[in-house]
Amino acid sequence: MGDGNATTNNRSVSNSNNNEKPEWLQQYNLIGKIGEGTYGLVFLAKTKSPANRGKSIAIKKFKQSKDGDGVSPTAIREIMLLREISHENVVKLVNVHINHADMSLYLAFDYAEHDLYEIIRHHRDKGSHCINQYTVKSLLWQLLNGLNYLHSNWIIHRDLKPSNILVMGEGDEHGVVKIADFGLARIYQAPLKPLSDNGVVVTIWYRAPELLLGAKHYTSAVDMWAVGCIFAELLTLKPLFQGAEAKSTPNPFQLDQLDKIFKVLGHPTLEKWPTLANLPHWQSDLQHIQGHKYENTGLHNVVHLSPKSAPYDLLSKMLEYDPRKRITAAQALEHEYFRIEPLPGRNALVPSQPGEKVINYPTRPVDTNTDFEGTTSLQPPQPVSSGNAVSGGMPGGHGVANRSASRPMQIGMPRMQPQVMATYNMAQAGMGGAMNPAGIPMPRGVAAQPHQQQHLRRKDPPGMGSGYPPQQKSRRQ
Amino acid sequence: MAANFWTSSHYKQLLDPEEVDVVQPLDKDKGMTLEDFKLIKMNMANYIWKLAQNVKVRQRVVATAVTYMRRVYTRKSMSEYDPRLVAPTCLYLAAKAEESTVQARLLVFYIKKLYSDEKYRYEIKDILEMEMKILEALNYYLVVFHPYRSLSQLLQDAGINDTSMIQLSWGLVNDTYKMDLILIHPPHLIALACIYIASVYREKDITAWFEELRVDMNVVKNISMEILDFYESHRLITDERINIAFSKLALKP
Repeated sequence: MGDGNATTNNRSVSNSNNNEKPEWLQQYNLIGKIGEGTYGLVFLAKTKSPANRGKSIAIKKFKQSKDGDGVSPTAIREIMLLREISHENVVKLVNVHINHADMSLYLAFDYAEHDLYEIIRHHRDKGSHCINQYTVKSLLWQLLNGLNYLHSNWIIHRDLKPSNILVMGEGDEHGVVKIADFGLARIYQAPLKPLSDNGVVVTIWYRAPELLLGAKHYTSAVDMWAVGCIFAELLTLKPLFQGAEAKSTPNPFQLDQLDKIFKVLGHPTLEKWPTLANLPHWQSDLQHIQGHKYENTGLHNVVHLSPKSAPYDLLSKMLEYDPRKRITAAQALEHEYFRIEPLPGRNALVPSQPGEKVINYPTRPVDTNTDFEGTTSLQPPQPVSSGNAVSGGMPGGHGVANRSASRPMQIGMPRMQPQVMATYNMAQAGMGGAMNPAGIPMPRGVAAQPHQQQHLRRKDPPGMGSGYPPQQKSRRQ
Repeated sequence: MAANFWTSSHYKQLLDPEEVDVVQPLDKDKGMTLEDFKLIKMNMANYIWKLAQNVKVRQRVVATAVTYMRRVYTRKSMSEYDPRLVAPTCLYLAAKAEESTVQARLLVFYIKKLYSDEKYRYEIKDILEMEMKILEALNYYLVVFHPYRSLSQLLQDAGINDTSMIQLSWGLVNDTYKMDLILIHPPHLIALACIYIASVYREKDITAWFEELRVDMNVVKNISMEILDFYESHRLITDERINIAFSKLALKP
């Protein structure tokens, strides 16, 4: 995008030796590395230009793919989508740069200091206090608002999880939610291939039951399931369905994850979910699936909500087994939960009551010893600036992964594939990133829904296709 | 956004014909005329199509690749961006964008198979480098809308189901990529123009249906005229004429 300043400086770069930054990078002060994943590294930087001096930017650097096949298709897909979309609750791509010398690609985003993974962890580890109701509701409302925008533009995110939901730190947009990491997102209007043909998606804990049962064609409802799981996690500070991942084959049958779901929600039935009969694993693995009989534990007990309360009602509609009956983002935004006190607001992180203590969420750790080449200096590590210097930590979200090296282990999920693990160990010089815990090939499918995009029906106002996005709803404060 | 044409980057980037028909100064200095420029682009659209048939990607990928190629030449000269490298690279990039990735080595293999002329010889490394230059030249806008989707919907809406009409209008849409129409007009209008031509040609009266659409029929007719003019003027294009155009490109400025 560059809008003029994206000119790359082939000459200056190739003539320079390695210690010299490409010219365009000189418009930023590099603070350090804040994350990494299979795709590359994520850095925190500040702009130097007088207009935006000191503004924090997260820069995601894509490595040239190892197989000698150019820019990774993931990067292409992410750029392609981010170049088209614009919404307050979706992360903003501010620039793209190419360094021809080493064939690397950089995406620059507005930096978000927090993400739901860290916010939840902070409450769980430190305070052991619940996240206050106002904050939970505001985070959820904004997440749904961003998702409604994506879905009304026929984009499924496919990898929603707490670390991909960013929250802005102090500044104009303090406490505003940003959905990030579109590497797996896709437009589902005109698929060339079933999604299931190209690998994966969605961290297993947040994966919808239809995917776990082998659905080939899927819809935006998979994102709503993930939102339900995230909602529950915001309430209880614990992942709702913490299954252990099976990784033997490219598309393993995730029985344990299904089991965790059935334990809480009971087994799905053909009465409530008629198309269940068509799902591959329901047919082939029926005995396994029905192996355990569970007393329906009751979702309300797990999340400590009264079955008659508004939040419980909304949550249970997000966790509806049948994807066709599952609540949509647009419907969820209209739910009673958002109409009762406390009303959701734009800054999810302000205290809900006057006089209530403001929670100081930790800033993102920054490895200040790594340069843009990903080279770690040999000097003894300096104390990581714990705060103000970097008051805009980079969300683990921008990347697939990010985040502290200990993360996957800590939650007890041995889920990395061997070769990924190798890269990870090698690269974790600084702070490492949680590899995309979902990085396991998974079936995807496609919504086969017909829809019209440029279709001109007679009734449409002139010049408008029927695909015009619905008015964004005004935000309640 | 991505699935809504009216808010897409494609819509915002539509150009006037005068903006598309500009021979870059570097090319002009070599004596390249507007006609040469158009012929080379047409020839490269054919090249992309031929390659695509070999690597087996769908028409939609071809259409996206041709659109990328045409967009590149609204900003870059053929002297600096050799069409014989840009064309296969656009196919390579479009295949990734449309989620049917094709390996660069496969493209290189078929390029060699299709053309013995060494001016077409490019290696994997060249394609990968050009991929990045094309991304820049496109200003990272990669979502492209095509007339195909509208075409099926419109044909259905008009109640047209005879195969000859459907095939003719599809063929016409394919041929529009030999021109720059996709850079200038919204895709559904291109689809309508193709249906219009097909209906006239097959003597099928669907005037009533057209009248019910809230579309400026003048625009549709103008696009139709452009397509017919194109067929008229390109009946006699020989390889020799194309070679002349390319030979100008080879001149030292």
